[in-house]
Amino acid sequence: MENELVLQHIQKTFDDGSLVLNDINLELPKGTKLSVLGPSGSGKTTLLRLVAGLAMPDSGTFSFAGEKMNDVPPYKRNFGMMFQDFALFPHLNVEDNIAFGLQMKGMDKTQRNARVGEMLAMMGLAKFGKRHIDELSGGERQRVALARTLAPQPRLLMLDEPLSALDRSLRKHLLVELTQIIAHLNITTIFVTHDHEEAFAAGDLVLIMNQGQIEQKGTPEELIHFPENDWVRSFLQ
Amino acid sequence: MDRKNAAVIKTRYLHPYLLAGLIPAIFFLLFYFYPLSGILVKSFSLEGGKNLSFLDQVFGSPRMMKVIWFTFWQAGVSTLLTLICAFPCAFVLSRYQFRGKRIIRILASIPFVLPAVVVAAAFQACFGDKPFFFGITLDQPLVLILLAHVFYNFSVMLRILTGFWSSLQGRISEAAMVLGASPLKVFLTVTLPLLKPAIFAASALVFVFCFSSFGIILILGGPSYSTIEAEIYRQAAHLFNLPLASFLSLIQITFTFLLMWAYTAFTKRAARFSPDTEQIHLKPPVHLWEKMMIAGVVLFVFCLCAIPLIALVATSLTHAGKLTLVYYQALFVNTTGSIFYIPPFHAIKYSLLFAVISLLIALVTGICAALFIRFCDRKFSNRWTTFFDPIFMLPLSTSAVTLGFGIIITLDKPPLNLRTSIFLIPIAHALVGFPFVVRAILPALRAIPEQFSEAASMLGASPLTVFKAIDLPLMSKALVAGAIFAFTISLGEFGATIFTSRPETPTIPVAIYRFLGQPGAMNYGQAMAISTILMIVTAVGFVAIEHFRKESTEGF
Repeated sequence: MENELVLQHIQKTFDDGSLVLNDINLELPKGTKLSVLGPSGSGKTTLLRLVAGLAMPDSGTFSFAGEKMNDVPPYKRNFGMMFQDFALFPHLNVEDNIAFGLQMKGMDKTQRNARVGEMLAMMGLAKFGKRHIDELSGGERQRVALARTLAPQPRLLMLDEPLSALDRSLRKHLLVELTQIIAHLNITTIFVTHDHEEAFAAGDLVLIMNQGQIEQKGTPEELIHFPENDWVRSFLQ
Repeated sequence: MDRKNAAVIKTRYLHPYLLAGLIPAIFFLLFYFYPLSGILVKSFSLEGGKNLSFLDQVFGSPRMMKVIWFTFWQAGVSTLLTLICAFPCAFVLSRYQFRGKRIIRILASIPFVLPAVVVAAAFQACFGDKPFFFGITLDQPLVLILLAHVFYNFSVMLRILTGFWSSLQGRISEAAMVLGASPLKVFLTVTLPLLKPAIFAASALVFVFCFSSFGIILILGGPSYSTIEAEIYRQAAHLFNLPLASFLSLIQITFTFLLMWAYTAFTKRAARFSPDTEQIHLKPPVHLWEKMMIAGVVLFVFCLCAIPLIALVATSLTHAGKLTLVYYQALFVNTTGSIFYIPPFHAIKYSLLFAVISLLIALVTGICAALFIRFCDRKFSNRWTTFFDPIFMLPLSTSAVTLGFGIIITLDKPPLNLRTSIFLIPIAHALVGFPFVVRAILPALRAIPEQFSEAASMLGASPLTVFKAIDLPLMSKALVAGAIFAFTISLGEFGATIFTSRPETPTIPVAIYRFLGQPGAMNYGQAMAISTILMIVTAVGFVAIEHFRKESTEGF
């Protein structure tokens, strides 16, 4: 199958001169569920931001579906990203949050309402449309954030530590819910986390990162049974 | 459970911190509420002449109506101009990291801490009858007033807007962008709606400041451009119409309180978003247009904030086109024939004396108030704090002229006659400085973990020893900041001082005002010289406060 997402020789340094990403090469076929796993400061979030267009690489190319994306601004990529603290708009209610991306696409009101209703139903939020963001629980916010991300039917779904803002007790339950939803969608997904369990549950393919470099890429089984080096072995223990 | 029991046991006897609350309470009753009640009583004794009824004197007089209208009009226009100037600057400061940004921030903050008389003097030096820069003469009182207000309030507006705006740069904007919003759409659909409460809050605050601006109006406006505040002074000090002055004060108090209430309401609505991530999202300029924009802002801030001050210093150092120190030397000489029969040197002396006394008063009452509020925080419900906190902030929303006026009409006769007391001016200054002292100390005091004092008292320390051995050392930096606040505020205070000062004990701002009112190059030059000294002292004090105070994102 043709590779949809291709990263070639991606290099990125911070303003202070420290290297965040060092020669990243990655190829993903359409529909891949990839988890990016690594300790904090490993560059995994920066990698995600580069793909989203929120940060620019110093060198290297990123192409998606055969199109070079380096110079495409984030708002023209039609990618979806769910942020760590969800970043829901506090001045809009649940419905308007979900409708935001559709509005930006210029969709007319009837279509927009239909799609929002569809998303609310899918997330089990049918009665929450008019609620205010600060009236929602952590789990409800997460579902609104996911609904908002998926509503415009993005070509790529990115999740940045989507469970870290939640209580420990909720996390396990919502991880199952989240992975089920993702599994039913036919879009390429990148799931960034520092938690092994989350990474293995969410991805068919796991990328392990450390100090700006890819340590190993493989299925969860491959990683557990055949770690390529000592660092990966001790990190996964 | 434990906490509740402890509270019950502790309140069986009067804790010293509870008693400490009495000191600011008495201070406020005597020197704030009593004078204000004096104004209230006096304004009801307002009687018209034979043909004029009570309200006709104000609302029937075309001059008074003009004054009231102009007060609102100039405050509104000044606020709008300030907003227009600060908005683009706030955009750049909240978005980009660039070299020299710190200096620009400090430069932009300095005008606000300068005494109003110094600002007025600087604008006279810059644009007044002896135009210093490029020969531009903008000697229109109205233009000068508006410019001075923009200069003065630019930093408040900038600080509040930048604080809120930079917290919006992060994920909220990025989320909108990933969802397909172009930068312009992000601004219109996300940033602007979220920024709106902050814009309203900052505007309300600036409006209050312009509404109750006194020194600038009095000095730059002349008799033709009078506001309620300046009119209170004229009616009371020149025309001795105390009832009318009282009634005007009442109008003034009512409006400032309403506006401060609006400000507080807006501030509460302006929620903040992940302020700790602010720094991460600052980015260096990449494109040429970004660099040009930053250069433009730097140039603008320099022109607005530095040029009037440079003009002030330059004017004070030039006489007949030559560089000279003659004005500075004259400050120490007793020139006969001057109406100023006390050499300005004495004004400096009295100012320093008053500043030290008011610093002590403000610090003692401020520490007591802060200890009391923290004690209420910890031992009782929030209701106590939410009740006392705003009361202690009241002088902040009361104009200095009203305070000074209230003080002279009430504290000049028994039961409390302080008319000839050396403490009258320091008391007025301490009242103005008090909220700043509390605001400086309280956060530091609240940040000290309760376990520290509990551990100390378990080890045998009495509450007083706990204060001396634990609290005092741990809040020393904030205390220094509070002290400098009280000191510099006292040095520059004008509105209350002009009522309370006696001819033989002038302060520096009063001296500047008198010099500016006298004809002749010598008087003018001396006004500039003494203003320069005051400006330098205040600016140094401000930089010191910034150094001692923890980086705070508060509005002012």
